[in-house]
Amino acid sequence: MTAVAPPVAPPETTTGTLRREDTRLLCGQGEYLGDVQRPDLKHIAILRSPLAHARIRDIDVSGALTLPGVIGAFTGAELAADTGTFNHHLEAIPTLRQINWSVLAVDKVRFVGEAVAAVVADSRYIAEDALELIEVDYEELPAVSDVEAALEGDSPQLYEDWGDNVFLYIPGPHGDTETAFANADGVLEEKFTHHRIIGLPLDGHGALGEFDPATGRLVLHASTQIPHFLRTVLAEITGLSEAKIRVVAPDMGGGFGNKVHMVREEALVAVLAMRVRHPVVWKQDRTESLTASVHSRQQVHNVEAAYRNDGRILGLRAEIIADVGSPELYVIGAGPAIVTTAIVPNCYDLQDYAFELRCVATNKAPMGAYRGYGQGQAVFLIERVLDLVGEKLGIDPVEMRRINMIPDEQRPYVTATGAVLDCGSFHDQLSDLLEGADYDAACRRRDEARTEDRLVGVGIAQMVEATAPNIHGLAGQFGVYEMAMLAVQPDGKVNVVVGTKSQGQGHETIFAKAAADELGISPDDVTVSDGDTGVLPYGSGTWGSRSVVMGGGAVIKAARQVRDKMVAIAAGLLDAPADQITVSDGFFRFGEAAIPFAQIASAAYLHTFLLPPGMDPGLSVIVGYDSFNTSPFPDERGKMNVAATYATAAAAAVVEVDPATGVVSVGDLTIVHDCGTVMNQVILDGQIHGAVMQAIGQTFFEELHYDENGQPLTTTLLDYAIPTFGDVVEPRIIHRETPSDLIGGYRGAGEGALIVVPAALAAAVHDALVPLGVPITQANLSPPRLRELLRGHSAA
Amino acid sequence: MKPARFEYVAVESVAEATEALADSEDARVLAGGQSLVPLMNLRLARPSLLVDVNGLGALSGFEARNGTLRFGAMCRHRFLETDPAVRRQAPIVAETAGLIGHVGIRNRGTLGGSIAHADPVAELPALLVALDGNVVASGTTGERTVPAAEFFAGPFMTSLEPAELLTAVEIPAHSEGDGGAFSEFVLRHGDFATAGVAVILHRDEGGACDRLRVAGCGLGPIPMDLSAAGEFLLGESALTDGGADELGRRVAAASDPTGDVHGSGEYRRELAAVLAADAVRRAWGRAGSAGRG
Ligand SMILES: Cc1cc2nc3c(=O)[nH]c(=O)nc-3n(C[C@H](O)[C@H](O)[C@H](O)COP(=O)(O)OP(=O)(O)OC[C@H]3O[C@@H](n4cnc5c(N)ncnc54)[C@H](O)[C@@H]3O)c2cc1C
Repeated sequence: MTAVAPPVAPPETTTGTLRREDTRLLCGQGEYLGDVQRPDLKHIAILRSPLAHARIRDIDVSGALTLPGVIGAFTGAELAADTGTFNHHLEAIPTLRQINWSVLAVDKVRFVGEAVAAVVADSRYIAEDALELIEVDYEELPAVSDVEAALEGDSPQLYEDWGDNVFLYIPGPHGDTETAFANADGVLEEKFTHHRIIGLPLDGHGALGEFDPATGRLVLHASTQIPHFLRTVLAEITGLSEAKIRVVAPDMGGGFGNKVHMVREEALVAVLAMRVRHPVVWKQDRTESLTASVHSRQQVHNVEAAYRNDGRILGLRAEIIADVGSPELYVIGAGPAIVTTAIVPNCYDLQDYAFELRCVATNKAPMGAYRGYGQGQAVFLIERVLDLVGEKLGIDPVEMRRINMIPDEQRPYVTATGAVLDCGSFHDQLSDLLEGADYDAACRRRDEARTEDRLVGVGIAQMVEATAPNIHGLAGQFGVYEMAMLAVQPDGKVNVVVGTKSQGQGHETIFAKAAADELGISPDDVTVSDGDTGVLPYGSGTWGSRSVVMGGGAVIKAARQVRDKMVAIAAGLLDAPADQITVSDGFFRFGEAAIPFAQIASAAYLHTFLLPPGMDPGLSVIVGYDSFNTSPFPDERGKMNVAATYATAAAAAVVEVDPATGVVSVGDLTIVHDCGTVMNQVILDGQIHGAVMQAIGQTFFEELHYDENGQPLTTTLLDYAIPTFGDVVEPRIIHRETPSDLIGGYRGAGEGALIVVPAALAAAVHDALVPLGVPITQANLSPPRLRELLRGHSAA
Repeated sequence: MKPARFEYVAVESVAEATEALADSEDARVLAGGQSLVPLMNLRLARPSLLVDVNGLGALSGFEARNGTLRFGAMCRHRFLETDPAVRRQAPIVAETAGLIGHVGIRNRGTLGGSIAHADPVAELPALLVALDGNVVASGTTGERTVPAAEFFAGPFMTSLEPAELLTAVEIPAHSEGDGGAFSEFVLRHGDFATAGVAVILHRDEGGACDRLRVAGCGLGPIPMDLSAAGEFLLGESALTDGGADELGRRVAAASDPTGDVHGSGEYRRELAAVLAADAVRRAWGRAGSAGRG
């Protein structure tokens, strides 16, 4: 990274590949939600349930109202009178339980931390004091926090009218597993587990709402990855038209998928702004973020794999159970588990694959998105199966993968679940990995270490990632497309507005370059903004590794349209045929003649008499861009092309296990990464580094704990351990570039390393423990958990 | 995450502090604030009055007196870790203080605060027990000295009276043949220890071990005195690998840890074995080389 000068005005120019937004963000000049100030701003504090499961008999807020400085105190029942409800907008899935929920709990609470009442006061201090004066009469109910217990017949039920706790059931009988299993030489049966963690942005959810009764307009500043989606939901909740609502997403200190969900508190802020007629703000504190935002990952997989003695996996059956906690979250928290089922075949030729997905409600905070979105669990499943079958058959991991990989000739390859893979050669990618990681030497060093009784292991894993996914059928009423606005101003400088929302990914830098390259100008002449529904009609936000693919595509499309018009103007001025005009270095050229870019711009706005006859003045467009190749919903056979394109990656890890403490040290990590055209390698490598950190975190450090009564035990960062700089592992990164067929050739990046690295680490730890004969079937390899495993094994 | 209402007074003398503490129902001393303030923000602590003793310069620094080192309660962890005189005269104190949190925490956190707070996973209370030190407390009626062995009453509980100020901590001065080591397990750099073991021993001129004390953090409800586990090493002149491991086994057996999100009781016991073996090896080596060429 660049050395940062003392705080000065952000530079007008970007040099090389460095991020133009960094000076601003790193020198404290960003504007985050906490920086948004308004005169007369009031503060919201939220009373949260101390019980995991209870009926609300009565709430008495009168005590709170007596405290000086309190503006109002509100309950769900009271707000319900003139407030809409959330629902999942997934009527198309018949096996989904349809539920509605409100901005505050009304009849029942279903997890510790659920919002039950809110106070608006002059300060957050007073508001929190007032919470202590609210009396809630709860009728406590038995709670269930373990997902397998929640599936038992006698389990407490979160929704009595369901008759069980199964929120979503999807069977996926693809291919012919009967025959595959009948033809098998053997069947591997395993249970894999994924623990509960959280994608934890430093800057949590929060919103500041302003309502102007005179105009009927609402402005909500919200720390969100999906400002336009949020506007649509706010319209449903407040009853205002989308034309009257403006959502502004300011600079954000991370999102990681957590903020792809519209938590009820964001809508609550809007509703309270309309009620109290003061600007109001709520900012999630750390305990709220850990206990009442969006958890992720927790799944149990019961797997049967049918194999032939030559190593070929013939068929796979997977029972996938996702612990979604309270399902009252929009967009739906079952989305990642649905994607898990779709990605299981990964880069392998596995057509006979049947799954049964159960998303199960438990008395825990909602589960939803986190970087990787269910794909890491799928990759873990299939990669573990390959290693475990290989171990039974004495076939090494590389060979197992080569035997089962989708052949290079088959492109596109349609997977068992309908994903249309357009990826490059998996064989070549694997070869690059083995060479980059010096795999054979690593294995030799492992063998030597074993002779010294050291537990060293080498592991590999591969992944296919659905990038720029379509979420109609997965998660809600929203699609996959993107919008962008591009305006060349009279002075020849350019504004670009995108519907994606940077949470720190460097979008100002990359979209400026995308536009500049098409317009033949310098990126320094392009100003990029995002996150304001008042400027762009719609946008789909940033998630699913989609921003460069869809946002970049939209920006390029917009730039091309404007360029075409500028070429037409230049053609008139140069008296030349339009198709012979070239654009570069800030000039439109025909032979020796050249007109500066800025001169065409001024013609379009100022000297409009220079325009070709009949041409409208101005140089701006708003475009929508869709890849047109995804399926909105599964077809009648349950098949669905979930994404606009697919990125791929492979990873190799070398680890050493200390059997006495359970500590795993990662000695070496290599990642081969193919996200199509690489737009900016500095930013891309940064994405991979960050994802590796999170992979290390989820594997060796992080775990959200609940006790059996649903009490959360990890409520501060003292209890929930995210890795720090002392725990950084620096990967060796090898880029492959296989362009997609989409505009720009992009495939999307950001999540890949977090999808593939945990599986590689698990494989390496498994390999390290071969001398002890302890198989790894769990994603959680923290020191205490690994010790537990080793202890259990030596006791057996 | 905002504290409940409280009053605040910055005092200028020990007498003023103890009076303020005596006068108010739920008064609390504010030292470095690194434990108290987070608890207040979580509303797990709700003092009515904070008595800020950061202005009591007399409680900083340390002095040697008749073979005893007396540390003022307001010695910051960072001072203990880095001060050349402390490093020379009480190397084990410097080593242990350096294990606490991050530099920012150590710049504020104090010795007295750590001892008074009595977190069962904190290092300094365990070290004080291993060193068989004393706590000096002042109340409105005067000063008293409490042996470490009697000071810790339970998790976050001590024999300090509500109106008493912890003013100093006393430990024996380092002398020839002494060796000490503090070994701990942290998940991440800067974390509270999941478990830690202090070993303090002395070897006589002939190299035989004639004193050996062991204490642990994270191994029970209070800093545990586990010295009995090491008695078998008294009189030994050499520490074998088997001896170190045996101490580990005995320390593990004698400890009484409970589980939490950082590790089960069983896990902590396993760690205790590893840590005690490591600490005794290091302490033994240090005792052997200390000041004897
Ligand atoms: C991120 C973080 C990491 C940490 N890591 C560690 C660690 O690894 N190991 C560790 O041991 N600690 C750790 N701590 C705690 C730190 O060491 C504290 O400084 C220490 O526990 C308390 O010291 P203090 O001076 O900050 O006390 P304060 O927080 O000011 O007070 C703590 C308690 O002691 C009382 N008290 C303080 N001084 C006196 C006195 N002189 N007389 C009577 N009562 C008094 C207070 O009233 C209060 O009840 C960490 C803290 C943080 C925030």
